[in-house]
Amino acid sequence: MTGPRPAWSIAVEAVPEVSSISPIDDISRDWAWGGSSGHGVRVAVIDSGIERSHPAIGNVEGYVSIAEGPDGMIYEDGPHDDVFGHGTACAGIIRSLAPECELYSVRVLGPMLSGRGAVFAAGLRWAIENGMHVCNLSLGTTKRDLFALFHELADDAYFRRVVLVTAANNMPIPSFPSLYASVISVASHEGKDPEVFFCNPNPPVEFYAPGVDLRVAWAGGAWLTTTGNSFAAPHIAGLAARILGKHPTLTVTQTKVVLRALAANVRPDAATP
Amino acid sequence: MNQTPAGPDDDARATIARQSQEIERLRQRITQAQAAERLRDALDMAGLAGTIAAPLSHEQLLDRVVSTAAQVIAARAGALFLIDEEANELVFEVAIGPKADEVKKFRVPLGHGIAGLVAMSGQPMAVSDAEENPQQARDIAQSVGYVPQTIVCVPLTADDRIIGVLELLDKQGAPSFSPADIDILGLFANLAALAIEQSQAQQNLVQLVTNALASAGSGAMAAGPTAPEAGLADDAAYRQALDLAQLVQEIGAQGETELECCRAILQSFARYLRFRANPLGGPRPSW
Repeated sequence: MTGPRPAWSIAVEAVPEVSSISPIDDISRDWAWGGSSGHGVRVAVIDSGIERSHPAIGNVEGYVSIAEGPDGMIYEDGPHDDVFGHGTACAGIIRSLAPECELYSVRVLGPMLSGRGAVFAAGLRWAIENGMHVCNLSLGTTKRDLFALFHELADDAYFRRVVLVTAANNMPIPSFPSLYASVISVASHEGKDPEVFFCNPNPPVEFYAPGVDLRVAWAGGAWLTTTGNSFAAPHIAGLAARILGKHPTLTVTQTKVVLRALAANVRPDAATP
Repeated sequence: MNQTPAGPDDDARATIARQSQEIERLRQRITQAQAAERLRDALDMAGLAGTIAAPLSHEQLLDRVVSTAAQVIAARAGALFLIDEEANELVFEVAIGPKADEVKKFRVPLGHGIAGLVAMSGQPMAVSDAEENPQQARDIAQSVGYVPQTIVCVPLTADDRIIGVLELLDKQGAPSFSPADIDILGLFANLAALAIEQSQAQQNLVQLVTNALASAGSGAMAAGPTAPEAGLADDAAYRQALDLAQLVQEIGAQGETELECCRAILQSFARYLRFRANPLGGPRPSW
């Protein structure tokens, strides 16, 4: 039988090869990311921009800055700076863990408030449709009328193997996309080792990474000591980039399983390199 | 002094020390939880009092939220900004602290500062070396009259929109604000947002009652074209609130004791409902 088949049915001989992962107990840090620098992995920082000239950044492979115009979204792809410093902080953390990943700055946070939820969604869509492998989302929206739109985007990313790493929001108000099952939601722990993280058996927060009193890169070539889940998420994004650098065909689920298997509270021995 | 090898006594002493620390931490958390509970009650009371006769002003309510937050979290100063979406500006509402009295109300454009960033990203954050980066704290410095060393800032959310930010400055007794401080400040931000909503609803309600009473004298009803809030007057929830406010006002007219009795009854009923809705206390933070 030839021609396209419906998605629920596929000829056995046509089933594509997929990556297998070793039995979960055998997964080691060395297997997961040993020797990987994130080379070839495209990481989008969907934030306030990235300051390329900051010593913590190195290079920025591509830029897009999004704003709401009178006739829809306006996309500008020339180099830009960081409006606040927040995106540079996230990018610096990712760079320190995955020195050879390709950083893309998707600027959705600016000094204009109006339409910020829609601009954020447009940035996420841009990243999914432009071949990013990992997206760092240290921001969220509380607008209920955007729930379905972000849910659809998060599912789309999941099916296209784009890992969305989101900062959990600890406010008493629900914020998304960090609440969706298809993303990797991260909060902070007080440790300082950038490669030590924990998994949380009580989602929606699934992982804890360093995010307390961290020295991070900031706009204007500055450094800032800060606390926040915003800075925990890029640790997991950086490690995901390294895992995908070594195992490029892993699905989002597999990447999450690998991370979970290497969490310090699951495999205390795995935490010591 | 002779060094003695660590023995069972030392182990026991270490365990006791650890346990005492743990007890102290728990004790602090309980104190914080109790303070938050007291503030909730205070706000309930303030809201109810406002509906009856003597409204606590918008500023007084917010001032109370910020100063209680600063007291509970042990901060030297604090500030609350609301967002003006049209102008893309932060509007300074409340400041408490050593130089707060010298500061007048002002507006700052969004962008560059920590307050603007938190308003945009919706993500709470703390900074522990703000004085090294004065440009990050310019808006805050302007609001309290000095550059703080440490900052914690959380968004204020009402009806699923970010409407402002709440900040505390200069943690006392510790080098920086902790994740637990961020969590607790988030609860206060929630209260502040509620207070803002409540005082706005209250202003409408007070106006509605005033108009109803004024127009009752001339034989017209509140829902008539003389009421400025004609749309609101048609709203069932507002009608119920109005009925309730009128009842309470009637009781209040009888005297202080009757009013106090009425307040106590309503408050215990509200407390019972809160308990019934959530017998084990609020949701735990995910930090």
